[in-house]
Amino acid sequence: MAVIPESVRQQLKDHFETALSGPVRLTVYTRPGSSRLILPAGLGCPTCEDARQMAELLRDAAPEKITLEVVDVSRDAARVEIDQVTEVPTIAVASDSDAGRIRFQGLPTGTEFPALIDAVERASRVEHGLSEESVAALAKLTEPTEVMVFATPT
Amino acid sequence: MALASPQIKAVCVEANEFPQLSNQFRVRGVPHTVINRRASFVGALPEHDFVNAVLEGAGVAVDEPHEAVSGPTSDISA
Repeated sequence: MAVIPESVRQQLKDHFETALSGPVRLTVYTRPGSSRLILPAGLGCPTCEDARQMAELLRDAAPEKITLEVVDVSRDAARVEIDQVTEVPTIAVASDSDAGRIRFQGLPTGTEFPALIDAVERASRVEHGLSEESVAALAKLTEPTEVMVFATPT
Repeated sequence: MALASPQIKAVCVEANEFPQLSNQFRVRGVPHTVINRRASFVGALPEHDFVNAVLEGAGVAVDEPHEAVSGPTSDISA
């Protein structure tokens, strides 16, 4: 990943200063190696290192609020099973009291990066932004429900 | 939505990075939303319609089924 200019880091730091309230837990699921190598664990991950650096950028912008855990899926099968991670890289965003049910699969660049920042802010404030009517409707869900949204960076 | 309901896991997938997954769910345009890997709709919906689409895709009866939701998707083998 290209070196992030100090001005951008400072901008993010200033933004998080006011936008975050409670703690946020970030988890990055990675696999070692690039796409050029076939390792014992399978094909390497071409964007995992960038995803890790992106998560570190967020953590470093508010280290007193954001914690970051890096999970190597090739070494921690039990964790993969528990967290139900199917692909790497995956960045999971969670408020302190919750499991990481907001996930970004693949490197969230372009227009997805602001979405990642928004997810961090919302998790911090535990603020879903939905209407009372929507919340009441979603309460009808009694089984785990996966909502996958395919997007592109541009 | 994942913050509003403990049942929901929200996954934003970078479509170009996972072509196999994109093909599996017949992603031709974005945003393309897949619910429980069986029902899907294309495009951005207003909040009310989006919520109803998720409920319908999860098999919960809704008052106003959304015409944009299709599924179960026939080519999903998993």
